[in-house]
Parts: sequence; structure tokens; C-alpha cells
Amino acid sequence: MANLSARKADYSKFQELNVQNLGIAASNPFSQKTLADSLKLPYPLLSDFPGLKTIRSYGVLSEQRAITARRSFFLVDQQGIVRGKWLPDVEAAVFPSETVLEAVRALAKK
Amino acid sequence: MVKRPARVLGWAAAWVIASGLAVLVSILGPPAVGAPVTPELLKTLELGRYPSDTTPPDFSGRTPEGKTVALAGLRGRVVLLTFWASWCLECRPEMPMFEQLHREFARRGLTVLGINVREESELVRRYATELRLTFPLVLDPDGEIGTRYGVIGMPTSFLIGRDGRAVALAVGPREWASPKARAIIEVLLAEPGGRAGAR
Repeated sequence: MANLSARKADYSKFQELNVQNLGIAASNPFSQKTLADSLKLPYPLLSDFPGLKTIRSYGVLSEQRAITARRSFFLVDQQGIVRGKWLPDVEAAVFPSETVLEAVRALAKK
Repeated sequence: MVKRPARVLGWAAAWVIASGLAVLVSILGPPAVGAPVTPELLKTLELGRYPSDTTPPDFSGRTPEGKTVALAGLRGRVVLLTFWASWCLECRPEMPMFEQLHREFARRGLTVLGINVREESELVRRYATELRLTFPLVLDPDGEIGTRYGVIGMPTSFLIGRDGRAVALAVGPREWASPKARAIIEVLLAEPGGRAGAR
């Protein structure tokens, strides 16, 4: 949740760089809407449940205690190529938006 | 002299027919019963809206008295579902409003259902006695129902139509006994159980 809010706080920075934020979770669409409304998120939350197709194909499915997606961040370019991948520790604090923003700026220079 | 409308219509029709024109008489009935809840109506209470095909997660739970309540068993009724806890300061003023709606609309098909999140049965019972609540309070001791509904704060409330589809949600408190809220509930109560189509 803290990560969703962090991306919300930095939303305008992502927009300036033409980056669309998407949140994907192994939760039903109903709960996703409640969560998005509760946090007043300016970007969509997508449900990958019960199919888990996207989460599985990105290799971040976790079935340890319950079926969830591992906390992870992927940067996909306009051609659909994955240009960045971050898998922070579960216990780690909020993943900084600046790490992704730097990667986007570096991509733009190429 | 006041002219009788029927006679006026008759003369007018005779004149039109005599002029060689056809007449189409449209007889309008009363407004359709079961008009859908409009987005504008939901906005009056700042409620979030669901697409018309959204089904809320099913659940069943027990009241402090040991009675089992299942959402599936409430099909055909309008359900106002609210997630609350005794420590939730913003929930408390809502409770008498819910009680008011329960007393006023239960006979006409509204079920007000409080889902208590992660508290002891005895505490819930005492809270209900203190606030003189008579609508059912369901226990969610592990927060499982709340998780299914994506609830991360309280109060969070949901409106479910007679056909079992999710209609709206409210994150945070609302004036549930206000004319605006009553207007929404009236429209939902007037809807048929097998409602279909866009809202």
C-alpha cells in the first residue's frame, strides 16, 4: 500500500516523462476498486485473478502462504520491451520512485 | 367557462382528420417503475460507482448471537453493507443513521448489515446494546471478508442491488439518513430483482 501511495505522490513526475503507472495484483477486481478508491489513486489497478497469467509470465508469483504477486517493478518501453526490473526485499521500505525515473531518463537519452 | 379536455381533443382531432392529416395519439403511462440509479444520483452522496455487471464477493458470517448471515441469502433485497469497528471514531455517528434506515426500510426490502472487523463477539454485543442497534452485525474475526472487499479503512460501505450486483461504495463516512441517501435507497428498492442494463 505504501508503494501505491508513493507512486501516487510522484505521479506528476512519471507523467512528465510520459510513463503510465499500472498496478497489478492477484486480487479480485472488486477489492482492487475499493483499494483504488480508498487511496484515491490517479492510475489504474489491474486484477490478475484468478488467471494469474501476467504475474506468472513476469515470474513473480508467490505461493508461500497465500497466492500473491511478489513486490516487483517493471519498466516497459513503448515497443513492449522490458527495460528495467526491480525486486526489492519484501521487508524493505518503500521502493523509491526516483530509481525508476532515473532509468526512464537514461532510456530517453539513448 | 371551462372546456372539458376530452371535448377539446375530440374537436381538434376532427379538425385534423377533416384537413386530411393523420393523427397519432400517444398515450403516456406513469413513469417506469425500476428506473436505474443514475451516476448523477450516486454523485449526490459522493458514492463510487460500479459497472453494471459487477458482482460483490460472496461471504457468510456469524452474528454475536450465533446466527449465520450469507450474502447469497439476501438476493432480492437491497443490501447496505458497512465495515466498522468499535474504535473507529467516524463509524460511530453513522450507526444511528443505519439503524434509522433499517427501521424505516427493512419491511420494504432493505437489509442493513454491519461487518465488524477483527473484534470480539462480546465487545460487538456491548456496542450494539449501547447504541441500541437492531440491524444484524456480522463478525469478521480474521478480517477475511474485509480482505475480499479490499477494505483498508473504516467506515467503508457498499450498496448492493436486489439483483445481487454491486451498485456503489463509500470510502469514509456519509450522511446515510439524509434525503440524498434516502433517494438512492428508494430508487434501488423500486428496481426489479432481475435488473439488467447500464446504470
